[in-house]
Amino acid sequence: MPRILCARFEHLGLLAAWRRHPELQAEAVVVGGAPVLRLPVLAASAAAQAAGVRPGQPLRQAQQLCPTAVFVDLDVEAADRLREAALGELCAVVPSVEMGDELAYADLSGHHAQHPGEAAWAAAAARALTRGLGVAPAVGVAGSRFTAWMAARVSTPRHVRRVRPGEEAAFLAPLPTGLLPVDAAILARLGTLGLDCLGAVAALSPADLGRQFGADAGLAVHRFARGEDEAPVTPATAPRTLVERRVIEGGAADRELLSRCAERACADLGGRLRERGLSAGRLGLVLEGEAGPVAAGTRVPPAPAGSAAEIWAAVLGLLGALDPTGPVTGLRLEVGELSTASGRQVELWRRGDAERDAVAHAVARLQDRFGTETVVRPRLTLDPGDLPERRFSWEPAAPLVQVGR
Amino acid sequence: MSRQRPLTALDEVVGRLQRRHGPAAVRWGGGPAPAESWSTGIPVLDEVLPRGLPCGRLAVLTGERGRATGRLTLLQALAARASRSMEVAYVDLAGTLDPGFLADLGADLDACYVVRPPGRALGPGLAMARALVAAGVPWLAVALGGGARREPGWEHALSALVGAVEGRGAVACVSSPSPPAAPLAYASSLTVACAPLDWQLAHGDVVGLRVRLRVTKSKVGGVENEGALLLRYPRPHAPAEVVGLPAVVEEPVVEPVAPPAAVTLPALPAAEAERALA
Repeated sequence: MPRILCARFEHLGLLAAWRRHPELQAEAVVVGGAPVLRLPVLAASAAAQAAGVRPGQPLRQAQQLCPTAVFVDLDVEAADRLREAALGELCAVVPSVEMGDELAYADLSGHHAQHPGEAAWAAAAARALTRGLGVAPAVGVAGSRFTAWMAARVSTPRHVRRVRPGEEAAFLAPLPTGLLPVDAAILARLGTLGLDCLGAVAALSPADLGRQFGADAGLAVHRFARGEDEAPVTPATAPRTLVERRVIEGGAADRELLSRCAERACADLGGRLRERGLSAGRLGLVLEGEAGPVAAGTRVPPAPAGSAAEIWAAVLGLLGALDPTGPVTGLRLEVGELSTASGRQVELWRRGDAERDAVAHAVARLQDRFGTETVVRPRLTLDPGDLPERRFSWEPAAPLVQVGR
Repeated sequence: MSRQRPLTALDEVVGRLQRRHGPAAVRWGGGPAPAESWSTGIPVLDEVLPRGLPCGRLAVLTGERGRATGRLTLLQALAARASRSMEVAYVDLAGTLDPGFLADLGADLDACYVVRPPGRALGPGLAMARALVAAGVPWLAVALGGGARREPGWEHALSALVGAVEGRGAVACVSSPSPPAAPLAYASSLTVACAPLDWQLAHGDVVGLRVRLRVTKSKVGGVENEGALLLRYPRPHAPAEVVGLPAVVEEPVVEPVAPPAAVTLPALPAAEAERALA
């Protein structure tokens, strides 16, 4: 049975503005830009929302509603840094995380070895998010995405509201229908019909709702009201690469010194991967000289490297293969094709479970060593024409499946 | 290794070696070693080959160099059959693989990895095959041709491949012109010679090849087994049929036929030969 965590927090743009201007934390703040611009409000602080400002309104209207508000631009880079930090912290606790601007979803299905129960796991996730964002989120846990979101709405910061399996309908029943994520016209019609809470909507049959709103919309309303939303957590995309760079004062041609330098870079990179719960499918090493790179190479490790020791084993081989043409003044180690480390299949109970991943890695290594055209899959073409050789095309065998996080 | 006699120091040593290096490390010389087998699903072939192709061993199909002996067609037919239930790696050192033909034979192309080593070099090709088998590909086909480049030391790659095949219990089938190179002949647990009998004609067109199979070497039993097959070539596709791919030719792809008394191959008329090549 799926269990989904939803964490609700202030908009990342607003948090970034508060970090930059801490004195604004008690003020009415509107994120989106200057009111003279014909742009919508992206986020508003609690004080601004109390004055009637809502995301999506024109900035000019927001100024009319709340003349004392401070209008700030969206600092995209700062918001991205915050998202990255929160994602990193949360991924260390939960393998599958979806990160939005104001909401984060995480898949709590199954068990976690370090946390005895769901409540402890959810609390750990909330603490991780607090570390990443600097503010405490309001957290809800339920069996579906919509119910978890509703639980987060009724929860308060520093609290986790859990809806136990089977209690979704009872939890949703007293909540107002205005919270349903459906078209405004449908909400207005529900109000006209006197259906003011989700329990009243859930009591109707899908056919009745279908007659009112159309088959699809009626069924969607019915499913939402009963907490039967089956939308999964869509994991966020992992960063594409991580890089560590070391500067060697005065330059070095001694391999022993290069090895020590590379080992330290591996240790730092391994720590960063471990923090984010990632593993690397490809390693690149560049030895830099005064005038530019003096040697470079890449390697695909036999299995995704997720720790300093695993990276070091591959980097050691790379170092032996590289022959720098001059003194080395810098060393740059890059890991790519990052995937979620905890998503790796292991042969715990049955032999062969991990073969799919292993074969994909073997193909990637062969392509890395001999070229992408050496391991291919044939594909028949749909419109081959008259020439027999056009009946098929060669495609490089599928690269490693990127497991998002 | 079980004999009805008291346990001796030799038995203890043999037992220790088998525990450390695997049960196949030390074996009795007499009698064929038992091996699991992959049934081809073609009764006559499963009869000629003892219960099918052995798992964890190298099987070699040989055919006279420069003649149409059906060894590559048979290899592709077996690979196509295997691809319907598992992943298959096809190492194309002969440079003759036509995926359309493979699809006509009923292969699931999504389950096929085709390995084309640079320069069709044998050593790298076998090393790549070893890597895939070691990673878990359960069925391997290696097509050797006259053009494959044999650089020094390729036999080491072959021994590594044999080790990987044995370690993973994979099915490995090599098609080689006869006589196979000495290291390959030595590494083979099952060698089957393919010899052409005659062309199968229908309405004047070549639709198949009758082939005699003979087991010339076997470490798994069935030496000197013989049989005859009809390798029916899949009919060519009309453009309209290509749209609905993958098309599977009518079964059976390989049909048993009674071996004829004479094994002389009649000369093929020039026009028919051209059509067959086309």
